[in-house]
Amino acid sequence: MKARVIWLVALVLLGVVASGCIGGGTTQTTSAKVQLTGDFTKDAVAVGKVLEKNGINEVKFSAWGSGDPNSVMRVYGIVEAARRINRIWEQNGIKVKIVITDTHYVASFQDAYKEYLSKQQLGQAGDFFVNSYAFLPTLADEGYILDITDYAKAYKKVIDDFYPSLIEASKFKGRLYGLPQDTEARPLYIRKDVAAKIGFNLNGLDEKVKKGEFTWSDVYYWAKKAKENGVEWGLIHRKGSAHPDLIQFIFAFGGKLYDEKTGKLVVDVPAVYKWLYVEWKFARDGLLPKDIMSWDWAKQIHPTIVEGKTLFDIGGTWYWTEWQTKQYYHGRGLKPEEVRDWFYYTLFPAGEKGDKPVTLSQPFVWMINSRAGEQNPKYDELKDIYHELAFLMLIKASDPDINAIHSVISAHLPVRKAAAELIKDEKWLNNLKNLNLDLSPEVKDNIRDIVKATVNPINAQFLANVSYMLEYTHLAPAHPKYPALADIFKEAVDKVLRGEMTPEQAVDYIIQKVKSDPELAKNVEISGEIPKGWKFPQG
Amino acid sequence: MNRDRFAALSFFLSPMIVMVVLFYLVPLVLTVYISLTSMRNWNVEKYLTDFVGFYNYHRLFYMFQHDPTFKAVILTTVVFVGITLIINVFGGLALALATFFIDERPASLFRLLWLLPRMSPIAVYSLVWYYFFHGSEIGTLNSILMKLGIVSHPIPWGQIVPWGAWSIIIFVNGLVGVSFGMIVFTSALNQIPRELIIAARVDGASSWQISRKILIPMIRWHFLYVLTWQFLSLLTTYPHLFLLVQWDLVNSDYGTTLALYVFNTAFGMGEQDQGLAAAAAVILSIIGIIGGFVTLKVLQFERMMKRPRGDF
Repeated sequence: MKARVIWLVALVLLGVVASGCIGGGTTQTTSAKVQLTGDFTKDAVAVGKVLEKNGINEVKFSAWGSGDPNSVMRVYGIVEAARRINRIWEQNGIKVKIVITDTHYVASFQDAYKEYLSKQQLGQAGDFFVNSYAFLPTLADEGYILDITDYAKAYKKVIDDFYPSLIEASKFKGRLYGLPQDTEARPLYIRKDVAAKIGFNLNGLDEKVKKGEFTWSDVYYWAKKAKENGVEWGLIHRKGSAHPDLIQFIFAFGGKLYDEKTGKLVVDVPAVYKWLYVEWKFARDGLLPKDIMSWDWAKQIHPTIVEGKTLFDIGGTWYWTEWQTKQYYHGRGLKPEEVRDWFYYTLFPAGEKGDKPVTLSQPFVWMINSRAGEQNPKYDELKDIYHELAFLMLIKASDPDINAIHSVISAHLPVRKAAAELIKDEKWLNNLKNLNLDLSPEVKDNIRDIVKATVNPINAQFLANVSYMLEYTHLAPAHPKYPALADIFKEAVDKVLRGEMTPEQAVDYIIQKVKSDPELAKNVEISGEIPKGWKFPQG
Repeated sequence: MNRDRFAALSFFLSPMIVMVVLFYLVPLVLTVYISLTSMRNWNVEKYLTDFVGFYNYHRLFYMFQHDPTFKAVILTTVVFVGITLIINVFGGLALALATFFIDERPASLFRLLWLLPRMSPIAVYSLVWYYFFHGSEIGTLNSILMKLGIVSHPIPWGQIVPWGAWSIIIFVNGLVGVSFGMIVFTSALNQIPRELIIAARVDGASSWQISRKILIPMIRWHFLYVLTWQFLSLLTTYPHLFLLVQWDLVNSDYGTTLALYVFNTAFGMGEQDQGLAAAAAVILSIIGIIGGFVTLKVLQFERMMKRPRGDF
């Protein structure tokens, strides 16, 4: 009896394990390939002809994206790219058609990432996946996304038109795994009316910030003055660790978060201490709410800013249109003129004299699933062709006009210089406003309302004005362990703001937390010591 | 055992055995197996055979020893499970007894009201309490207290440690769990022969005496079941806590229980470390088994399982 039961259990276990293994193997077959030349039409035609020769008349792809409702071009850019390639094929008598079967778009980019991660191995994830560059190293390391380095060689001209820092963000171990889709900067907003009330002259301030003459000690001085003059707060900033705004302090105090030589994350103790000290000082003097990390976005943070209850705000470029489309101001959105007239914006100032101003970007990157095209016929034979076609679609989706449309309607910064030029063109903007552009009806239908609400010369001018910030931009390290470190930073900031810890204790807390996880400790260096006798504010 | 008896037993038991093996035994074996690998990011092909021995367990214990917030997590788990368990079990019992003595119609309506927290989607239900306990003037509770002139400044309820944070998580989960005990106890009470209660009434017993001397002793089995079930479920629950902590309503150290700590460690920090999560799940299972065993022992489960004397 006992033996029979053991046999039965063993059999069931074997069955379960076997069912997981069967089908896991891949068949090796020689796949057709086209040598890309960099001439888009020629390459598209060559790929189309191979497909046609193999009896393929329809290629199915799906596009997965995420973000706020105004950023839908993250998936419709792919739809438009498919239409443009279809048109090239049609003009050249090729009877093949690309069909985008699914445009999967969700609000949370973290949720989208988790979904992709769990479905990629099952072959159920999107063929095109746009998400934060922060996840690219993990996806590349696991072999979940396509290495496009070799394809991109033929398209050097296009690649060179992207801002170099953004192309770097799309690489992992020196190989290119995607193309930048959008980015943003995080300006320091200043209320013009509050500044006028306290005699704070904003003329030429952005230049002073650029030169490092206006530092965080000056921010403190004016914030305090605002408070003394009856303004509720001197400074408001964002919360949470998913939005890495606050680590700008580390860079502004000349610190770093990543060591290129060792490939490890860094807790730069002097810079982290200065950051936490500034937070602590602002909160202790009542200039910054000590419970800001638990404030409500829609009911507290944004209304406080747009209703003029603070002098400074560390925000993002997307705030500009968010304040127009959301009802934060006494139950209504702001008019573009109001945003322009009420808010001054500049780089995140240097920590102290001798340091440099900074901003922070978290670019989104278009990536190709390493199994892209799998649902199409003859995948094993035509795998390389499907991948080449997917790459060509990325190139097409990066057309300057597609990128510029996305930038204008979502208030993100363009990733290509050609797109940055386009948004300054008033005639093109007018055409966009009237949707008088070469776009598919499907795309037009999906962006019509957004275009109506957001396309405005004031908004386009803002994007053009802040584009210079990309020259000062820093990126949070694209390291698989960075989110864990960011969480620890967030907890430390919260404790310091609430007065539960002094800045010294908070630094110790961070170090202890890092050391408590052997995996994290292996990936993080602790560098430097708490500076003795350092004072804030200075001068 | 003879051959026929074995065949008959196999025939009747095999569907259940297959189910138990497939859905209980295999996942358990797989969890233990995965905990011994470096499995992460769902990459089965890459990590399924990458054995790391007890490294994930070592890592967990190392974190438990050195993480500065871990003591708060353990204390929170003990307080949360202990108090919420009492609320869930005795609250459920009180509700069942209270509705037992009133008319069926109002009793059903009353019970339905208590089921609402269980029926509401977790996010919606948590959001209600998020806004109710919010630590600023936008919080309903603060707003009421300020309007009544009881407090002049909003109170950051969830950030008062430890009891502010604990009170909120216990309150929110207590309301959800109480309905389970209520249903089980109500059903048990309805099985008790009415003659016993009528006889007691005739003898002049009060509702309290009936409850204490007749009803509660007769639903000991159910009491034990609810207690054990709720203990295990509280030990492993985290969805409401996750949202309350994620939305910064409650202090993260004193709003996090062991189950949430495990979830955050395994899934909440960017990299999805299924190996570590599996190790943590194994440990939680062991704690659950020990806890369940202790509960059964303390409540003398074996005595209840004994065959009644004189019937055979």
